[in-house]
Amino acid sequence: MELVETDLGATLSTLLGLAWLIPLASFAAILFFGPKMGPHGRNSAWVATGAIGTSLALSLFAFGTWMVNHPPAVAHHGDHGDVHGEDHGEEHGKEHDDSHANNHSAEATNRVAARLVRFAEEQAAEGGHGDREHGDHEHDGHEHSDEGHGDEGHGDEGQHADSVEHGDTGHGEKIAYSGDWYALYRSPSLVLSIGWYIDSLTVLLFVVVTFIATCIHVYATGYMHDELHDVTDHEVTLAAGGHLHRPGRFPRFFQALSLFCFSMLGIVIAGNLAMVFIFWELVGICSWFLIGFYFERKSASTAANKAFIVNRVGDFGMLIGLMALWGALGTLHFGDTVSVDAEGHQVVEPGLFSLVRPAENGHALQVPDGMVVAAAASRVGNIASVVSPEDARAVIAEQVSGWRAMGMGNWLLVVAGLGIFCGCMGKSAQVPLHVWLPDAMEGPTPVSALVHSATMVAAGVYLTGRFYPVLTPDVLVVIAYIGAITLFIAATIALVCTDIKRVLAYSTVSQLGYMMLALGVGGWVAGLFHLVTHAFFKSLLFMCSGSVIHACHTNDMRRMGGLLKKMPYTGWTMLVGCLAIIGAGVPFVIGFSGYYSKDSILAQALLFRQINPSHAILWYAAAGGAALTAFYMFRLWFMTFIGEPRDQEVAAHVHESPSVMTTPLVVLSVMAVAAGWSLGSLGVVNLLEQARPLGTAAGMTGGGLLTAAVTVPAEAASHAEAIHVTATWTAFATAGLGVLLAAAFYVWRVVNPAVIATTLRPVYVFLENKWYFDEIYNWIFVKPAHGIAMLASANDRGIIDSILHLAAWLSRQLAAIDAWIDRFLVDGLINTLANVTWTMGLRLRHVQTGRLRQYVMFIVVGTVAIFLLASMMLSATVAIP
Amino acid sequence: MNLLSDPVGVSHYLVVGAILFTTGVVCMVVKRNALGVLMGIELVLNGANVNFVAFGSPVLRGEQASILGLDGQAMALFVILLAAAEAAVALAITLNFYNNHATVDVDRADDLKG
Amino acid sequence: MIGTLFGVSSLLAATSGGINWHSFFFLLFALLACGLAVAVVLADNVVRMAFYLVLSLGATAGLFFLAGAEFVGAMQLMIYVGGTLVLLIFGVMLTAQEPFVAIKTPARDKVLAGIVGGGLLAVLLQAAFTGPAWSEAPADMAERTLGQVTQPSATPLGMALVGVRVDGDVASGERSPADGNVRSGYLLPFEIVSVHLLVVLVGAAYLARTKRRKAVAIARDESTTGGVR
Repeated sequence: MELVETDLGATLSTLLGLAWLIPLASFAAILFFGPKMGPHGRNSAWVATGAIGTSLALSLFAFGTWMVNHPPAVAHHGDHGDVHGEDHGEEHGKEHDDSHANNHSAEATNRVAARLVRFAEEQAAEGGHGDREHGDHEHDGHEHSDEGHGDEGHGDEGQHADSVEHGDTGHGEKIAYSGDWYALYRSPSLVLSIGWYIDSLTVLLFVVVTFIATCIHVYATGYMHDELHDVTDHEVTLAAGGHLHRPGRFPRFFQALSLFCFSMLGIVIAGNLAMVFIFWELVGICSWFLIGFYFERKSASTAANKAFIVNRVGDFGMLIGLMALWGALGTLHFGDTVSVDAEGHQVVEPGLFSLVRPAENGHALQVPDGMVVAAAASRVGNIASVVSPEDARAVIAEQVSGWRAMGMGNWLLVVAGLGIFCGCMGKSAQVPLHVWLPDAMEGPTPVSALVHSATMVAAGVYLTGRFYPVLTPDVLVVIAYIGAITLFIAATIALVCTDIKRVLAYSTVSQLGYMMLALGVGGWVAGLFHLVTHAFFKSLLFMCSGSVIHACHTNDMRRMGGLLKKMPYTGWTMLVGCLAIIGAGVPFVIGFSGYYSKDSILAQALLFRQINPSHAILWYAAAGGAALTAFYMFRLWFMTFIGEPRDQEVAAHVHESPSVMTTPLVVLSVMAVAAGWSLGSLGVVNLLEQARPLGTAAGMTGGGLLTAAVTVPAEAASHAEAIHVTATWTAFATAGLGVLLAAAFYVWRVVNPAVIATTLRPVYVFLENKWYFDEIYNWIFVKPAHGIAMLASANDRGIIDSILHLAAWLSRQLAAIDAWIDRFLVDGLINTLANVTWTMGLRLRHVQTGRLRQYVMFIVVGTVAIFLLASMMLSATVAIP
Repeated sequence: MNLLSDPVGVSHYLVVGAILFTTGVVCMVVKRNALGVLMGIELVLNGANVNFVAFGSPVLRGEQASILGLDGQAMALFVILLAAAEAAVALAITLNFYNNHATVDVDRADDLKG
Repeated sequence: MIGTLFGVSSLLAATSGGINWHSFFFLLFALLACGLAVAVVLADNVVRMAFYLVLSLGATAGLFFLAGAEFVGAMQLMIYVGGTLVLLIFGVMLTAQEPFVAIKTPARDKVLAGIVGGGLLAVLLQAAFTGPAWSEAPADMAERTLGQVTQPSATPLGMALVGVRVDGDVASGERSPADGNVRSGYLLPFEIVSVHLLVVLVGAAYLARTKRRKAVAIARDESTTGGVR
């Protein structure tokens, strides 16, 4: 059985690895051969869509494989599972402690494939024991609804050892496969590798990302058809007057889209933080390409740069976090690395999760040894100076727990957590760094739908969730507050926006804030659940808005209205999206996908408030945000689709989009409705529960560094009747209130929005200017940067350039002198010689008369002359008598 | 001295050779007809031959002649042979010149004038 | 003219003593050769020049006989007078069209040539009389006559030309071939000269005939094409 699981890990990694790499192949193909693919590269759309479709098929296959091998447990409600599960776990653990604990407890953490081989060997050696266990598995499989799965956080060592063996039963334990495909760099202190970490979250996100991406590829094939021929961009006015006329860029769009899919899937499958960082940057660059797709428009290129630069700020923090982790722990791998040493023993090198939440400690969060030692550097130095190196290691090992109790290394863990979260803030547009996302709507709408609402911006939430075991309560509180502030600010801005895409953009920011809030208050499943449902309905909403823009050729909602009759598919699917995002549903019976996810967030926030009364504001923000969400979403829908057309000119040529665009809308609207449903044990929540990091199901108490002590409650507790019911009714009431208000403003016209705007003018202007974030940043960062740049430029021009110019002038003078010497001395010498030779030749040529007789005469004269000369010389030297 | 009674010596021959040589040279210089020039060359060679024969002649030099032995006469023979060869080539050249320029006036052969 | 005067004065002087016939014939041939050579220079007509030259060379052959080189003299008559000059006369005949028979030379050139020639003659004569060893005749010259002094030189020359020297030291027995320092024959120069002659004759024939053949060919072409038209 375990061997089968080993194969399962290999199968999954192969399937998902292929699904990850196929878009890269598509990117390369379009990059090199795009313009040759049919007229204007029309077929590049098929290549890209085919690639992502294949990825989707592979992901679905992997998903099916996972579901067959690890069927998730049925969702549980109420707290009855807690006690029971705990008892059971302890009993169960003790059974096996006798036989296995000595072997396993020290190293057991995640389900690493190679370890399972070892279990298989041991079980084979122990014969019948293994068989008995097998019976247990099946037993558990039937009973797990009773056990629940809140048990793992409370377990002791034995319980964990148990978990390894029982993983495949859907027991609620953590099941993950990890490994490396290829090591980019290997040194004793660092291994940078391309690897995988696959649990149910990975598989789920693969399906979500590839599914949405496939829909959007199909949609974009219709939406981008303008790019198939030459384009006249009416938003770019040339200096000469007139508008920019350029060739279409159809293949380039799909090329960037394919690269983006590759990068996004790379983040999801990544087995270590370094790989995450690489693909993090890759999605950033893809985003830059796509936002700046219409780069001739100044606004688009500026927005692309803004997105990139703001993300750099976040990535700077992320780098600090990476350094802290690597410097103190020496590894960036999520899971354990198993290798075989020279003597054939298995060597388990713990990954980040095992280091922070070691099995010995029952997977409770503790500061890892590396960080304690790093923080206690001076004491380590003292020990090393006294004791010999060999002994020092042992002495330090003894001292570590004492130092940890003194709180050493806490801050290092906080820095690591905050640093990584900083990167997530940039990518997920959390408040101080949210300014780029609305501007990113300059890109084509399919891009907004895929990159800037459904997937890339969710990468921050995903990473926070993936990294969740390492986050201390201090960090979680910070995350919660950031999320709350973000959701509130973004929602208020969305109230007054008139640009249809910007409303959705701020709505995205707000929903991302919800997710962060959920993660911060301990709702791991809630946050990631909302991430999944949000991906569906927000991409749906964006594609609907794209369809509207495609028909109206304007983004301005004030020029729309009454479009429902002309665009029925778009209008009704968008209504589905709006209902999903506000969490509409019949309480306790059924609802849209957002109903489930938002309820669980609110429930967790309420639980957090009850346990930590001082943080009540988080709950109010979440509840108030729900009302605001409902208001602005229905404001958008009413303004666009209901009432009379405000602009006849626009309304005149509105038409429904082609079926290649509406089909994805329908498909996605189905998902937006159904993504939250559970059929028995089949459901996103249960699947996510399977991926819950070890030790995070229990509550956590801590803090003291950044906040007063807080208790992060266990998520299971929010399923308690009292909390759950309150939260659900609150969500229903706030959402209903929001919808009613919007209807009062824009349908029944009981209240005139313009009057309200005038009455509350300061607030309105404040919101319309987006809380003046851009202006503040402009004054605080951009202007000083420009000033410094101007100073540097003046320094360059005035001082450095003048020195250079002087040097250049001197060289030129020297060269001139040199040239003069060359020309007049060297050349003159040679020329003179040549001239003399030439003149001599000219003179001597007259001697060559061509007259034979004269030559003979010369010969005779010459002979006589030689005779005379010789005789004279002879007579002078030898006296001839 | 009496030319008819005094025995003939090498010097006599040398005088004849000198006269022949000089007339040959003068002939080359004076004649504009290419054949005349050729004749001058023949005269020059003949003058040289007279000298060779005289130096190698046992009649004129007695015992001293054995220093040269037959060399003088052999040299004269070669000169005669080469003169014949030279005459043939020169005549061919002259005829070619005549064919090309329709004249045998060497003063007209000044194509290579500087 | 000078030669005539010279000859007359010599004859007058000879009457005072006994006539040395060897000297007499030498004088006769010398006067002939020199006089006719001068005649060649002075003649304007190329045909006459050729005629004078034949006679002058013939007289020179007489001088060779008098010097005891009868084989060289015979060759002089056969090759020069019989061969080279026939060749020359052919040349004269081939080119002897009316304008070229007598080409006048400017008087200025003649004067110049006289001066230069005189200078050369002076130098040569000075050289002829300077060397003491050959300015005087051998002491026993008086006793010797033309017939008894020498044996025929044709055989030794012929032997020498095929590589065997019979004259000089070997003949007198002063040196033997075993000494290793005997004079060598002229076999190699003889061969070189014969090949040289062959090359020259072939070259001369080639040079002399190419142009005419072309001209003939062109003329024939023109005539045939003209007929066709």
